[in-house]
This record gives sequence, structure tokens and C-alpha cells, in this order.
Amino acid sequence: MDLGQIQAYAYFFFTAFLVIVLYAYIFHLYRAQKKGTRDYEKYGNLALDDEVSTKPLEKIEESEETPKK
Amino acid sequence: MFHWLEQRPFFFAVGVFLTVSFAGLIEILPNFAEQARPTVGTKPYSGLELAGRHVYIEDSCNACHSQLIRPFKNETDRYGMYSLSGEYAYDRPFLWGSKRTGPDLMRVGNYRTTDWHENHMFEPTSVVPGSIMPAYKHMFSKVADLETAYAEMVTVNKVFNVPYNQPITMKDGSTETVKLAETFDEARADMLAEAKLIAADMKNQDVKDAVERGEIPQIVALIAYLNSLK
Amino acid sequence: MGNQNPLAYDYTVAKLFLFTTVLFGIIGMTVGVLIAFQMAFPELNYLFGEYATFSRLRPIHTNGVAFGFTVSGIFASWYYVGQRVLKVSMAESKFLMTVGKLHFAVYVLTILLAVVTLFMGITTSKEYSELEWPLDLLVVVFWVLWGVSIFGLIGIRRERTLYISIWYYIAAFLAVAMLFLFNNMAVPTAIVSGHGDWFHSVSWYAGTNDALVQWWFGHNAVAFVFTTPIVAMIYYFLPKESGQAVYSYKLSLLSFWGLMFVYLWAGGHHLIYSTVPDWMQTMGSVFSVVLILPSWGSAINMLLTMKGEWQQLQTNPLIKFMVLGSTFYMLSTLEGPIQAIKSVNALAHFTDWIPGHVHDGTLGWVGFMVIAAMYHMTPRLFKKELYSKSLMETQFWLQTTGIVLYFSSMWIAGITQGMMWRATDEFGNLSYSFIDTVVVLHPYYTIRAIGGLLYLVGIFIWAYNLYKTIKVGRDLSDKEINVNASPMSAN
Repeated sequence: MDLGQIQAYAYFFFTAFLVIVLYAYIFHLYRAQKKGTRDYEKYGNLALDDEVSTKPLEKIEESEETPKK
Repeated sequence: MFHWLEQRPFFFAVGVFLTVSFAGLIEILPNFAEQARPTVGTKPYSGLELAGRHVYIEDSCNACHSQLIRPFKNETDRYGMYSLSGEYAYDRPFLWGSKRTGPDLMRVGNYRTTDWHENHMFEPTSVVPGSIMPAYKHMFSKVADLETAYAEMVTVNKVFNVPYNQPITMKDGSTETVKLAETFDEARADMLAEAKLIAADMKNQDVKDAVERGEIPQIVALIAYLNSLK
Repeated sequence: MGNQNPLAYDYTVAKLFLFTTVLFGIIGMTVGVLIAFQMAFPELNYLFGEYATFSRLRPIHTNGVAFGFTVSGIFASWYYVGQRVLKVSMAESKFLMTVGKLHFAVYVLTILLAVVTLFMGITTSKEYSELEWPLDLLVVVFWVLWGVSIFGLIGIRRERTLYISIWYYIAAFLAVAMLFLFNNMAVPTAIVSGHGDWFHSVSWYAGTNDALVQWWFGHNAVAFVFTTPIVAMIYYFLPKESGQAVYSYKLSLLSFWGLMFVYLWAGGHHLIYSTVPDWMQTMGSVFSVVLILPSWGSAINMLLTMKGEWQQLQTNPLIKFMVLGSTFYMLSTLEGPIQAIKSVNALAHFTDWIPGHVHDGTLGWVGFMVIAAMYHMTPRLFKKELYSKSLMETQFWLQTTGIVLYFSSMWIAGITQGMMWRATDEFGNLSYSFIDTVVVLHPYYTIRAIGGLLYLVGIFIWAYNLYKTIKVGRDLSDKEINVNASPMSAN
């Protein structure tokens, strides 16, 4: 196998790999949302509820698994 | 699992950096050594040409003129042989430009002459009716900065091994040497000698007088540079 | 942590950058309009001797609008948005406050010196990277200070999760730092040789390599100055102004990482049919097309954020600016990939279609977003009601007309010139001399300059409106401005 061939194979598998990663990521995001393990969409409110006096969505000291408000 | 990142700024930043630099690693790093090799017949700029190149840069000629001939028939018909990578080996910085408001200048030395440039730079419409290029009259009185040109020759010779004072093989098999003087005074004398040859083809009396006095107006240096573009 | 004390966000630095955004916007765009008219009427080149030729002014225009207007706007928005979505006030940290003020001081000094040196013709000639090495060092200083400010504020944040905008600011900071450092590698000649001007330097790279690094930088400076920080702005200001949470957080995650991965590859499309290796040109071409996906991901996310609230488009001029801004973003991120296709590039490269494309993005997307962001921030920074809604409407329509004139004339000019360059007669000889292809463009250059002038008039209206707001706008200091839609006077 010459270098060009190796490059072509590497290129093909790399592209395939990235496509799989991308779809897996999309799948992961939507499944987590659907099963309720993680509510991503609540973070959209960070822009709306941004007064310094209001309570943070998740305080920094709290653990990662903060229950939903 | 990915949610983790948006809560950890440090790892988030590392992730961004890796993702962003990936393309650079693959695209930019390879081929560096190979491309920097000059083609046969490409020689470094002389002191006066370099001073002219600085004038070209000072007035941003590259804002409107490209120096890159693409491999299309209409471009080779108009401007000459398409560009080769090695022809740019001594161009620091490169001056390809990104817009052709005016024509390409990659090989302008092949088809324009000293007196054409003199007329053109003084009043572009006198040789190209309809031209929208501004006149560059100040180049006829402003003196070129020879010392900075010399400084650049010394620097590229020292740091990047640009082959001054070495025989360079030309296309016809002969060799030529581009001189880098030991001292600035010597270099200045060389540049002046070169400038006199150009001034002899010019008609502007102020420019001729200045060269006689030992000063080199920017226009002379610029023409030396443009004539070297082949 | 006590949230009960009357802590308030401190916008001192945001205000400073707001002023420079307006100031540099006026300067940069006035120069832009002047050089546009110079292309139609060359006599205008001689207003100030050697200092006002097109070639001297063009770098001042590009640097002025990119690093003066846009970057000021980015910084102003950072010092506003950063505090808010992290829920931490700059008043809480003396250190960060000092950094912020220092950041501003070094930045203004750099830009002023840049204007002076460019007028004098001191330039490296590399596009968007024209400043010589002493100024480059100053750029590094204020950029690092910005980084300290970003990560410092993040370090003391109350909100655990970083909002979408913060990702984009971080990305802009990191990527520009990397690109800028690599592209500006140079050797000062006076230090090595002991001769000549002390500020002169020679590029570390030669010829084709220099071009490669330059366009890897040049393209991605566009990406990380004109795209990511502006996306950061719209992800905050559009939801906030409309009162609608972003349509899909998940989509924003996808488009963020997609954009990060893909954007850097696309630089090669500036070098198609040049002497860089073929595979890089092809990569540049292919990835430019792929780039449509993450770009449109963000833009569509923004448009869908307005779902069910489209009536705001009629009532709120700020929503108009932002929605049209993201539409122009979609237009220019579609146009760019089209121009990156090899056969199209063969026609478009070196013609006026390219500046046309750039200005779709900068006038329509960057300009509108910065304008809208400053309009949104001003009532909250100064506790004043916006001076005039009708002026905002006027400005919007003037500028939109200006942009349409600009890009339509440049499309025609570019394609006309490209076709004329390649036209041959029946014997295969070139049909037109170069000057024929210049003379024919005169009407389009005139239309473009008028379009630019309309946009500039809009900028003056914007500046006047902001000035009046601060000076005589109705006082709102006794009220909490927690509302979404920016308070504006009906007249």
C-alpha cells in the first residue's frame, strides 16, 4: 500500500468516525432529555433570569445532580 | 457526559483549544520545508529592489494589485506564465493580494519599462486613460529608506540563510550572485550605482538631480522592484 | 454567599467600551465610505496629499471597523453579558475591576497608535494583521488582560453552568490568541542588524508558507472576531430582548462544537488555484461547504427562538435588527461556501464579489448585532429610556436599503468583471484589456458608495440616539429595569 492509499483509507475512516460521533452525540443529548436524566433546555433560561439578586439556577457549591426546580 | 464540560471552564477551554488547533496541525505544519525551496532562476532581492518593495508595502499597492497568476488560459495570456511556489521563496511577506482592482503585477517587469512606470506613477491616466489609480507624486520627492532595506538583507541572510554572496543557478545554466555588502556605506554605494542606471532612463529632472546628489527618491527604488518582477 | 445585600452589576468598563464602539464605528465607516467614493471618483484621492490615497486608507478602514468598532462592541458586550449570566458583579472584585480598566486603557492606546502608524504607511502588508511588531505586543497585552477578565469572572461566578454566550467568548479569546501569535511571528530587523527603523520587521514565513499562515489567520480572524463573539451576543440579547428562552439548547451545543471543529479548516478557500498544495485547496473548499451546517444551526436556532412571538418584529425595532442580522448571517454563510467551490472561485476570486460578500456579513450581521446590543445595553447602563423609537426605525430602513444596494451592486460588478477577464473572441484572443473591465464598473462603484453612505447615515443616527438617550432620556433610575423589551420613547 502506498502513502496515497493509506491517506485515502485514513481519510475515509476518519470521516466515518466523525459522523458516528456526531450522531451519537445528538442521540445522547435527545435521549438524556427524553428520559429525564438531564434537562438541557432549562439552561436556556440563564439569559432571561440574570439579575444578580435572583437565585442562581444551580449554585456553584451544590453537587452536579441538583434536582430540577 | 458532555454536560459536564459546560460547568468546568478549564476543561471546556482545553476542549475548545484542542478542537480549534486540530485543523492547523494537519493543514499548516506539513509541506513547510518543501514549499520554501526556490525554483531555479529565483534570486534574492538586491538592496534597491528591497527598498522599492518597502515602498510598495508602505503605500499598500497590494490592496489593489495581486501578484499571483492562476493557471487559467486567460490569466497566462494576460500576465504570463502561472505562478510557481518556489518563485516566492524570498518573499517576506508574500504580496499576493486578494483583490484585482488593478491588474496583476507578478511579471510586470516583462512588459513594462522604467519610463512607463515613471509616467504612470506620476499621472496614471496619462498612460492608461480611464484609470482609477491615484497618482503617487510624493514618491518623486520622498527619499527611500535604504538603511532599513539593508537591515532587512542582513537579517534574512543571518536568520533565514537567504543566499546573498553565493552563486545562484539561473534558468540558462549560468550563475548570478546578489551582493550583500559588509557595511551600510558600501551597500549604499551599490544601491546608488543601481539607481543611476534607472534614473538614466527617466526624464524627471528632480529625480535625476536627487540621484546625482546621492539621494534615491522612492520612485527609483519602486521601479527597480517592479522591473525585477519577472 | 449572601444574595440579600443590595449588590448591583457594575458597568463602568462596559460604558467605556460602549463609547469607543460608537467612536471607532464612525471613524472606520466614514473612511470606508470615502474609499468607496474614491473608486468611483478617483479625484477624491488627493484630499490630504499622500495620506488619503485609497491604498493608505484601506487598511485604516479594515482595521478601524474590525478592531475598533467590532472588537469594542465585543468587549462592551462582554463586560455586560459576562456579569449577568454568571451572576457576579465586577464590584465584587477590585482586581477584576482594575484589569478591566487597564484592558480598556491599553486597548484604546493600541488603536490610536494603529491609526497613526497606518496613516504613516507603517504596515506589514498582511491583511487584518498590518500592525508592526511593537503594536502587536500591545495587542497581546490587552488580549491577555481580556482573558484574565473572562476567566477571573468565571472563577468567582455564582451560576454553575456557563451560558451559551460564554462558550463563544471563550472560543473567540482562545482562537484569536493562537491565530494572532502565529501569523505575526516576525524578526525585528533593527535588533538583528543594528540598522534602520527600529519598528521594521520581516515575516518569519516566506512566500507560499506566509500566504498559508496568513489565510489560516485571515479567514479565522473573520471566524473568531466577526462570528463567534457576535453569536455570543445574539444568544444573549435576542432571548433577553424578546423574553423567549433560546429555542433549543441542544442545538446550540451541536452548532458550537461543529463550528469549532469545522471553521479552522476552511481557510484554504482563500488560496484556491494558488501555489499551495492541491489537497489543502480541496480541504478548504469542502469544509467551507460543510460549514453551512453549524452556521445555519445557530441562525435557525435564533429565528426559531422567535416562534410564537413574531408580532414583536413589528413592534420592537431591536428585534428587527437582530432578526435581520441573523438572516444576513444565513445569507453570507451560504454565499461564502458557494464562492469556495472551485469553479465559482475561479470566477469570483480577485473580483468585487468578494468585498460584496464580506460586507453582507459585516454590515448586515456584525453591524446590526453590535447596533442592537448597544441599544439594548444603553438604557440599562445609564438607567435612561431610549430617546427615540422612530429614529431607530428610520435607521433600520436606511441601513437595510444601504446593505441591499451594496451587495447587489457588488454581485453584478464582480461577476461582470470576472466574465470580462476570461472572455475571448472567436480566435481565442482576450476580448478586453484590463482597463475595459475597470471602466465598466463605474456605475456599480457609485451605487456601492451610495449604499455605504446610507449605512453611515444610519450609524450617525445611532450615535445621536444613544447620545440623546444618555443626555436627555427619561430617567428610570427609581425603577428596576427587569423588563425584557428595552424601554424606549414612542416618538
